[in-house]
Amino acid sequence: MNWKGNTKYLRLVLGAQLFFFAGWGGWLIASRNTDSPEFYLETEPVDPRDLFSGTYVALNYGISSPKGGRCPRRTRDLGRLFVKLEDKGKKAVTSAGEVAVYEAVDCHANPPQEPGWAKAEMIYRFGGPVAMYGIERFYLNENDPRKDARSGSVLAKVKIDRNRDLVLLDLVEKF
Amino acid sequence: MASYYKKLKKDLEASAGAGLITPEQAAAIYDRVYGARPFAAFRAAHWIGAAAGLFVALGVILVVASNWDRIDAATKMFAFLLLFAGAGEAAVRLDGKPAAAVPLEMVWFFMPIIGIGLYAQIFNLSGDPIKPYLLWAALATPAALLSRRPFGAYLCSILLFFTLYSGTVSHNSVLALTASRAADAQPLWHWALALAVLAGGVAIYPGKKLSLPLGASVVWLFVMLLADTAIKVRSSALILLSGMSLAVLWLTYGSEPEDDKAGLALKTWLGAVYATTFFWHYKGDGYVNRSGADTAAGGAIAWLLFAGALLSVVFRPQRLLPAGGKDDMPAKILLAASMLCSFLLFDANEATAKALAVIANLILAAFGTVSIMSGARDSSEKQINLGVAVLTLTAITRFIDIFGTMLKSGVAFIATGLAFGALAYFVNKGRKALIESVKK
Repeated sequence: MNWKGNTKYLRLVLGAQLFFFAGWGGWLIASRNTDSPEFYLETEPVDPRDLFSGTYVALNYGISSPKGGRCPRRTRDLGRLFVKLEDKGKKAVTSAGEVAVYEAVDCHANPPQEPGWAKAEMIYRFGGPVAMYGIERFYLNENDPRKDARSGSVLAKVKIDRNRDLVLLDLVEKF
Repeated sequence: MASYYKKLKKDLEASAGAGLITPEQAAAIYDRVYGARPFAAFRAAHWIGAAAGLFVALGVILVVASNWDRIDAATKMFAFLLLFAGAGEAAVRLDGKPAAAVPLEMVWFFMPIIGIGLYAQIFNLSGDPIKPYLLWAALATPAALLSRRPFGAYLCSILLFFTLYSGTVSHNSVLALTASRAADAQPLWHWALALAVLAGGVAIYPGKKLSLPLGASVVWLFVMLLADTAIKVRSSALILLSGMSLAVLWLTYGSEPEDDKAGLALKTWLGAVYATTFFWHYKGDGYVNRSGADTAAGGAIAWLLFAGALLSVVFRPQRLLPAGGKDDMPAKILLAASMLCSFLLFDANEATAKALAVIANLILAAFGTVSIMSGARDSSEKQINLGVAVLTLTAITRFIDIFGTMLKSGVAFIATGLAFGALAYFVNKGRKALIESVKK
């Protein structure tokens, strides 16, 4: 049987590709709409531009170097890690009023089934090990003033979805 | 291109004027060549139509871009899926019309990465930069393999090799093979994934000749041996042995028997031997050894490559010179010598390194001479030029990096010129003798 140029198989491949994107899109929308509390994180914006990806703010977080509890101190502990995020009383003022800023309080490779644990990937960067949460880019319009945000001037509005992934919802200016 | 057709017409008219061909033949040849030009079927109306379509498309893109922030996520995703389906379906329906199917297949090929980028932008996704490329290759490959044209498969193969190179030399990707500073070695499954990507890149490549994908694989393996990976080698001897063995393997298996030249693989081997000539200035392994010692796996791979290359040289016909069986033995000797001279670097000192450099120079000189003689025998101007180029480059390099002073260099230039003159005399004499023997 000649597979090359077979219309039936080509349409099957196209259908599989479309099914993948439809499914992934649906899953991302469901993650964003997870019924879990929204909270804020302190950010340190860096290097706000990239020619290939469009305009975005690259974000580092206070929780990128998690400390306290069982969080790793050795630089060799890389890979999957869960970080417990909690309101320790730190506050900030936004247009919506005073909000709580969450901080890292504990780390564990196999955390208990309770809310507040976010999935991270520990990688090595020039300054040492860094926890990456998959929320390190916020895409915005090139005319948006937030693209020039300085360290400490904006908060990231996030939530934790069902798979314990952090979802970045918005970048909010502090007053 | 237009100037080519003008010149062709002029040359054909001149040939007809000189009586070589009839004016009718000249006109027929011109019509045939002109009719077969690219976009020959495109009339003015087609070009105007294409320009109109381009303007409308650009206008739509700009209007959408200016309202981008006002469009909600679901609409953007739905519009993307619609475009994706449209491009794919149009490519399938117009499969028999290459002028439309080729650009549509290209659009279809790029749709997955456009979708990944769009979703990343909508949902502010970030993370491992290599994963999107792997996902793109996985999504695009089936359609590329099913296409009756090779373009998609070429692009997929290039994409896989690009992903392999960029992923394996990074520290923090799903394909990373180089060690993070102060961290444990990369997990074994990274190697499994990298080898799968490599195999995919080679297997998908649609060309019948394996030279390019084999070359890309050989260079990748050498980069992995040099980089800070689990198979790193750090001693000059093992680096040279593995590099030269890889060059020989590429040369042996990368060209087809019916090829009249070995192309890039040959130039790479010549480059490797040329680089070896600089061991004249060797001062010890201090620089390369600074980043650690050879790994056991790296050493084993280097020896395996050497064994494989040596066996290939002995048992396979060699493509170093294009004259087939006649020059097979000189080719085998030169290739084996290029690898075996690496042994002079084990426990090397300045004297053995200098001996290595001298041998490398002799290999180049021998290759140049045999190449000229082989080219003269087979009336291959290209082969003669290659031999002359190798000899000239070797001679000029040595004048600059060894002799130094104007007087010494001047004398060396004269001596080389005389040697070239003598070589030209004997080559011409040999060629005449060959012609005479054929006449008899």
